[in-house]
Amino acid sequence: MLEAVNLYRTFTSDGVDYEVLKNVNLKINQGECVAIIGKSGSGKSTLMHLLACLDTPTLGRIMFEEQDVSILSEKERNLLRNEKFGFVFQQFFLNGRETVLENVLFPLRIRGMSQYKMIRAGMDALEAVDLKAKEDKKAKDLSGGEKQRVCIARALVGIPKVIFADEPTGNLDSNTGELIEKMLFDLNREKGITLIIVTHDSDLAKKCNRIIELKDGEIIKDKIKKGKKFEEAQKVDELTKTDSGQTSETSITS
Amino acid sequence: MKLRDLLRIANRNLLRNKLRTFLTIMAIFVGAFTLVMTNALGDGMKDYVENQVKNREGANILFVRKKFETPNSGRKADEPIEYKEKTQDEAGNVVDPNSYSLDITQMESLKKDLPEIKTITPRFDIDGEYITLDGIKKYKLNLGMLSEGIKQKVEVGSTITGTGEIIIPLALGKTFSPDIKTLIGKDVTIAYEVGQSGEIKMMQLKIAGVATKGFMANGNCFVDADSAKRIYEDQHRNSDGFNKFWNFTFQLDTSNDKRIGEIKRKLDEKGFSAETFADQEKRTYDAIGILQIGLNFFAFIALLAASFGIINTLIVAVMERTKEIGLQKALGMGSEKIFLLFTLESILIGFWGAIVGVIGGIIVGTFANILTTAYLSSFEGYSLFSFRLFSIVWVILLVCVIAFLAGVLPAFKASRLNPIEALRYE
Ligand SMILES: Nc1ncnc2c1ncn2[C@@H]1O[C@H](COP(=O)(O)OP(=O)(O)OP(=O)(O)O)[C@@H](O)[C@H]1O
Ligand SMILES: [Mg+2]
Repeated sequence: MLEAVNLYRTFTSDGVDYEVLKNVNLKINQGECVAIIGKSGSGKSTLMHLLACLDTPTLGRIMFEEQDVSILSEKERNLLRNEKFGFVFQQFFLNGRETVLENVLFPLRIRGMSQYKMIRAGMDALEAVDLKAKEDKKAKDLSGGEKQRVCIARALVGIPKVIFADEPTGNLDSNTGELIEKMLFDLNREKGITLIIVTHDSDLAKKCNRIIELKDGEIIKDKIKKGKKFEEAQKVDELTKTDSGQTSETSITS
Repeated sequence: MKLRDLLRIANRNLLRNKLRTFLTIMAIFVGAFTLVMTNALGDGMKDYVENQVKNREGANILFVRKKFETPNSGRKADEPIEYKEKTQDEAGNVVDPNSYSLDITQMESLKKDLPEIKTITPRFDIDGEYITLDGIKKYKLNLGMLSEGIKQKVEVGSTITGTGEIIIPLALGKTFSPDIKTLIGKDVTIAYEVGQSGEIKMMQLKIAGVATKGFMANGNCFVDADSAKRIYEDQHRNSDGFNKFWNFTFQLDTSNDKRIGEIKRKLDEKGFSAETFADQEKRTYDAIGILQIGLNFFAFIALLAASFGIINTLIVAVMERTKEIGLQKALGMGSEKIFLLFTLESILIGFWGAIVGVIGGIIVGTFANILTTAYLSSFEGYSLFSFRLFSIVWVILLVCVIAFLAGVLPAFKASRLNPIEALRYE
């Protein structure tokens, strides 16, 4: 469903180019629960941003549901993110002065949904994270764990295909972290939402059914859980090198 | 995203830092207030002029005099004027090109080329002594004339329609009789001095109407042109320049603007300047308009200064809200919506500043009007500040537009933020 083909991302700062991602190839299927791990600075967040259409690759392509997203217009990408993706970040990015419900509703407000449908969807999402009772509270008055649950509700409210979570438990103690993890996994299992979690936490990673490890911008491991053990996944590199790899090259020269 | 939602969010954002928003609004308020007041001052003058000028009308009337040699026709203001030899026209009249006064026959000859001219009335210079209704109680008389074709607005009765008629001012009418209606058709006697001799002559006139208050009609009585002519002849027969006039009133057989324009052009070619009532009004309005623009200029400067306040406030807001903007964009809010959100915030600042300015202006202006009535009693019906809906709407719109323009730069900055960099922003 979500595919990266010969992905490169280069940042330029002070005139020096940093190749943060080098030739990343990867294919994520619907309903998978993927952990992206690696050392700090290895390019995990960068990869996630590219997959989530928040950033454009320097070279290569991102395919979502068989559609090359790099040829989409700004507007279409906004719509795609709004309707198909949900986001949970390490920092919560909630609007503290607004109520819990209002924070959750924000993606739907952008969508321009009718008030009645919007509030129903919002309450359902709050129910899923067990915060229905606090809908009227100002977001700033919540605890860290509650805030992250509001974020999950916000990611969930638009009924997305994929939820991207960048270190969702990074700011929480281990107990609260586990609660958040459980909620995310439940969504994955019960609603079939594809989960892509960027994390440092190897325990969290092991609970996912696929682990992708990055080092210096390259995938060094890609393991899928088979029963209780992880096995090396089919190399996407080899899969795509024959077809799409070459087409992308020819398309550049032509 | 719905506009209503954007408006609500914009409003909430403004309320985040109430003091800062308040201070920015106050800066706009000062500009808007000044603009409201300067406009109201000009409108007050316009209202006054309108009331006064509209007191008399005549769409087919031209006021004609010989064109002055103006300094801008190539001659410096202090340059001596060259003497031109006198000539004689076909009728044997002496034509003096150095003088601005003309006699009636010279003017009448214009009718040959301009058949549209129905009547020509010179402005007879007449002086009155007193006026009396019952022959006992006399009142000092300021006498004027009403040229043929000009309509004077009246409270009761009508404008002058025949000869031997007079229009009296409202105050005098009320002194004569509390019920001014009863005065119409009654005879009054006026007295005037003949020449310099001191001899007094009387004339019986019928009251045609009691004038509505206005610039000319506040203290003057007006007689018809024929009566004015008789008085003029009595008073000036033996004086120098008898039957020579500077100003004439033409009554035309058309009130069509285009045809009047054509007649004006022809008169101009012949060396005359001709003005309609509308021209006179426009001249006054233009003068007030220029004054108003001058005053508004200062209000503009205040608004300009205030708009920098808006820019500053919003740029700080963009910095403060960088992460929030990043998130909004990540969640799919388009750049144009971000732009709209920030410009809405600036327009709201402008709008509230303008509203407060308008309210403040009306309060201050109304008080000023009350306080100055005593000082302005000689200008009846004149209030210093007049608040016209049009001007107020105009000020509000203008301030909103200025605020919008001020908001463009910060809004553009906000809309251009890259979402991932904004989310990484420290
Ligand atoms: N916008 C940018 N401009 C310049 N360099 C950037 C930018 N974004 C990321 N980088 C660089 O790219 C590299 C990878 O960054 P990234 O955020 O993807 O790392 P990460 O694996 O998520 O690390 P962490 O675990 O600390 O979050 C870093 O060296 C970072 O400095
Ligand atoms: Mg990261």
